[in-house]
Formats: sequence, C-alpha cells, structure tokens
Amino acid sequence: MSAANFVQLLLSGLAMGAIYALTATGLFIAHLATTRLNFGQGDFLMFAAYLSMALLLAGVPVALVMAVVIVVLALMGWGLERFAIRPLDRMRALVGGQYSWILTTMGVALIVQNVVTLVWGKSSQYSPPLFSANRQNVVQVFGAGVFVEELLVIVVALVAILLFYALLFRTRQGRAIYAVAFSPETAALLGVNVRRTVVLVFVLASVLAALSGVLVGPIVTVHPFMGLVFTVKAFAVASLGGFANPLGILIGAILFGVVESFSNYINSAFGDLYPLLLVLALLVIKPSGLFGEAKTDVR
Amino acid sequence: MAIKHGSALALLAGFALSIGSASAENVKIGVVQGLSGPPAITDFGESYLQGIKLAVKDYEAKGGKHKIELVVYDDEANPQKAVSLVQRLMQNDNVPVIIGTVSSGNVLAFAPIMQKAGVPLVAGPSIATNITAQFIKESPSYIFRCSMVEKFQIESMLDWGTKTFKKIGLVHSTTGYAVFAAKEIQEGLKARNVQLVAVESAAPNVSDLTPQLLKMKEAGAELVLNFHESFELIYRPMAKLDYRPIIAGNWGLSSLKVLQIVGQKEIEGTVMGQALDMALDSSKAFVSRMEKEYGKAFRWPVIAALGYDAGQVVLKAADTAKTLDPKGMRDALEAVDGIQAISATPAKPFGPQDHECLDREHVFLGVWKDGQVVRLKY
Repeated sequence: MSAANFVQLLLSGLAMGAIYALTATGLFIAHLATTRLNFGQGDFLMFAAYLSMALLLAGVPVALVMAVVIVVLALMGWGLERFAIRPLDRMRALVGGQYSWILTTMGVALIVQNVVTLVWGKSSQYSPPLFSANRQNVVQVFGAGVFVEELLVIVVALVAILLFYALLFRTRQGRAIYAVAFSPETAALLGVNVRRTVVLVFVLASVLAALSGVLVGPIVTVHPFMGLVFTVKAFAVASLGGFANPLGILIGAILFGVVESFSNYINSAFGDLYPLLLVLALLVIKPSGLFGEAKTDVR
Repeated sequence: MAIKHGSALALLAGFALSIGSASAENVKIGVVQGLSGPPAITDFGESYLQGIKLAVKDYEAKGGKHKIELVVYDDEANPQKAVSLVQRLMQNDNVPVIIGTVSSGNVLAFAPIMQKAGVPLVAGPSIATNITAQFIKESPSYIFRCSMVEKFQIESMLDWGTKTFKKIGLVHSTTGYAVFAAKEIQEGLKARNVQLVAVESAAPNVSDLTPQLLKMKEAGAELVLNFHESFELIYRPMAKLDYRPIIAGNWGLSSLKVLQIVGQKEIEGTVMGQALDMALDSSKAFVSRMEKEYGKAFRWPVIAALGYDAGQVVLKAADTAKTLDPKGMRDALEAVDGIQAISATPAKPFGPQDHECLDREHVFLGVWKDGQVVRLKY
C-alpha cells in the first residue's frame, strides 16, 4: 500500500471515528449521571441529519442551520427525559422496572424513524455540503484526497469533545453532573438541583447527536434507518471506555473508525466484523475499558 | 321478427361468452411488496405498486369486465413476514392470484408454498434467476414473473463489458441476492475466459466504500460492476480518489432517486440492465402519466412499467379466465395474449415452457446520458 493510500484510509477512518466519538460521548454522559442511556441516540443523529438537510436545501445559512438543529434536538432531549424516562422512576421498585427505559427510549427511536419517513419519505437522500459549493470539493493531505467536509468533521468533533470535557471537568455544572453520578441524594444535600442536572445531561447528549447529525449528513447517505448502526457502534465504543472514562471513549472511537477503514481495505467481506471483534478482545483483556484504572469511575 | 332474431343472436353471443370466460365478478388480486425497510427495497416496492395501481385504474376507466380489489400487504423485506402474508392472502382473503415481491429471498421462500397450494404467483420486481426456472418442469407450474431476470442483465453486461474493457472489477454487498449475482458474474466471465482484476464486498448498511474503491483503483479496473444495493455509495469516493471508472450494474442504477443523489454529471455513462426504451413514445407517455399521477413519489420508470405490465397481464387473465379460481387464473395467465406492454414484455408473455415476461432478447443495456437512461449502442 502506498503512503498516500495509507493516509487516505487513515483520514476516512478518523472522520467516521470522530462521529462515533460524538455519539458515544452522548451515551456516556447520560449513563454517567443516570445509569440510563438513550437507545435512540443514533436516531436522534439521523433526525438531526434530516433537519439539517432540509434547512440547507431551503437555503438557510449554515450557522443558523446549526443553531436551529441544536435547539430542536435539545428540546427533544428534554422531552425524552421528561416523558420517556422520568415517569418510569416510580416503577423502579417493581421487578424489571429499572430497565423499562430501554423500551421507552427504543420506542421514541421508532417514533422518530416514522416521523422522518412521513415527512421526508423512505428513500435515501443526500445532504448538501456544509461549506462547499459542490460535492467534489477535495483537498490534498500528504498526497491523499479528502473532502473538506471530512476534515471538518474531524476538527469540529474534536473541538466539540474538548469543549464538552472542559464543561464536565472545569465548570460547576460539570462537577454537579459528577456529584449526581456519585450519589443523587448526597448531591441534593450539597445543594445540587438533581432533576435539573439529569435533564441537562439528556439535553447535552441530544446536542451531541445534533452536532453529529449535521456533520455526518454530507459525508454519508441519509435514510430513516441509518440510526441503529450508529447506536450499535457508539455503544461498542462507549463500552471501550467502560462507560466511565471519556478519554477511553475518544481513543476507542478513533481506533474503531480507523480499524474499520483498514479492515474494509484488507478484507472487505468481513470489514465491519473486525472492529467489533477488536472491541470484544479488548473488553476480555480489560473489562473496565481502555484506561479503566487510570481514571476510575466516580461511582 | 327482426328484433327477435337480434335478441336470439345476442343471447347466443352471451352464452358463447359465458362458456368462454367467467362472468363479471368482484376479483381480489393479492399484492405483497416491500413497502418499508431498507430504502432500496422500498423504492422498488413502491414503484412496482404504483404501476399495478395505474393498470387497475386504466382497466376500470376502460369499463373493465370485473370489479377489481387490490389487497396489498407490506412484507417489510422480511421472509417470515412475506410467507405469513402470502398464507393470509390464500387462506383468509381467498385471492386467486398474487403479485410480489421485491426481495428474491422472500419470493423463493413463498413460491414453493404457492406452487403446492396451486395459487398462481406473478413475481416482481424480484430478479433472482431461478425463481421461475425451478418450477417450470412441474406440470403445471404456478410461478410466473414480470420483472428483470438477473442472468439476462448480467449476460448483456458481460457481453458488452468484455468487448469494451480489459480490466473489470466487482463490488457487491454481502446480502444473499448480491452474493448470488457475484457468483453468476464470475461464472459468466469464466465462460468468456476473462478474470476480474478485483472483487470487493461490503455489508448492506455501510456508509462508505472508500476502501473498496481504492482497491479497484489499485487494480486498475476500467469498468467496475456495482452490485451493492446502496447504488449511490460507489460514486461518493470517486472525486477524492481521483478515479472515475465506468460503473455498470443492476437495473436499480436507473432509478431517478439515484440520479438525484449522485448528480447528473457523476452518473453520466453508467450502464445497467434495462427493459424500458425511453426513446419510444409509449415510454415517454407512460412516464408523463406516472409523473402526473404520483408527482414526486414517482421515481423509477422501468420498475413502474414492469408493475404496470404485471397488472395488465393479471387483469387480462381475469378477463379471459374460464373460472376465477386459482386454477382458472393460472391457465388464463399462461394463455394471455395481446398485451400492449410499456416495457419490453411481448404481447404474449407466457407459454407452457416460458413463465417470464422478459426473455433474454427483451433485456438490453441502458446508459445514463444527459439525465436520461437511453439504449446503449455497442
């Protein structure tokens, strides 16, 4: 393989890895604070991609598109917590009641899929590029051609995740999330508004889905059932981070994307299998996830 | 007296008609199609169904003999569901004939059940080669088809491909359909003493084919045969790889939806199996009628045309059947004649040893040129 082709595959893998990182971080933050997660995270991403596509096609400027999609998805995150998760708290004591949220979040995902099908149809669609005049805007990086949108995905996803980590570890609100994760009762005694914090994490998770959706739309084909693949892969990546270590999730996502790209090159018939096997192997060796001991779960 | 003679003649004519074919009745036609699930399946299923519905509308507008009721079910591209829906159509809805469905795997799952039950099937738009072939020796076979036949489009493509290009590559998905198509391609090339320079596959739900196309580029493939159901994926990495081979593949590449996603410039020169000649006035008139009827929901001329022709064939069989039971419909289907098909289907599509609307000589190659699929000359 030539060096240019190596870079080509690496960048393709990095772009998809960045999307997995954003999606998995959404799963991680919700799980951290509430031990629940949104099984429709990928479908929220899909909805964001459709909304962004519709607005871009209507001629709305990119910045405004981004803002609208983030606001709409934030509202969806709030709605998810309010109507699909919080009412189930009362059932926690019942047998199996503590897992009802799996069904309700999946139910919301199905509703989202059906709404998208009703509004935009069942066919695949192509979302216009965010910053390019046409779909052929390629730049050369070390001899490899890369779409501007792919580079953008890598840069924006990394910046978004770094900002997200800054929020989590450097702000009062971030510490409140960790306090709620440690013990909601103790956090409440310390003056943390637990309910507001729980709502916040679902809103944050949805905002990450919004970002992923806007970014991923122009580099893949958009269709109403694309979400599940992203949920499954993000789930695998979040498992790599042990659902507890954000650094593990970031590195795991990039590793997953890059391995996926190279394994499709080496043996395309089972290209999608190898990254999942890698996750399995790593979890067998280190069940706590990558860097599990270096940064212990606060819970 | 003259009036009496006239009445007697009319009575005789009526009697002759009544022993020749069944009298006017309500006729239920069962339809199973993939109307939800993977986008490519839905595009096929909805387009074919649009054609069937238009055929029924035209039949009724011309004062058709029977009152037609379409009983339509969605098999969601799921074989188990398809089997249970076919059983429901046969046992609960008591339909004398069924049309469907998109997935060849689904058809191959329920066709033996229908053959055993003695209920005729007009398969479509499924294209696996062996759908009718495996039953044609039965006496009688209840399995018919109005659709493309995989082997015919592959043979046409290989005839042209091996004459025109030195290096041919293949990208296919890992679905049962595509793996079978890949096998037929490799056998066809072997018979022509040609070897593929690269064979790559991908899961049906992948979102990127950069690694696969990179392999094609490295192998120097001038023609890439595309048998992945996400027809548009192969085009995406071309610009960044600075590699633009000719793409040829499944008749799905003629979808207006693929044109819309890929773009006119990028799809120019793409070749596919075809059965609708857009140069003909009848094809143009059909497309403009479909556009008027379905607006933006119309997206696939050739599939809709085959759906329309399947509808025409079944309705003509209902008109000419001696009895409107499954056996009567089967016999009538085999004898149907005088079809004015939109697609390349001949006026008499079927015979005792031929249950395909399209034979080898009716399938040709189409090519995208200036935003339209036209007949490829080679």
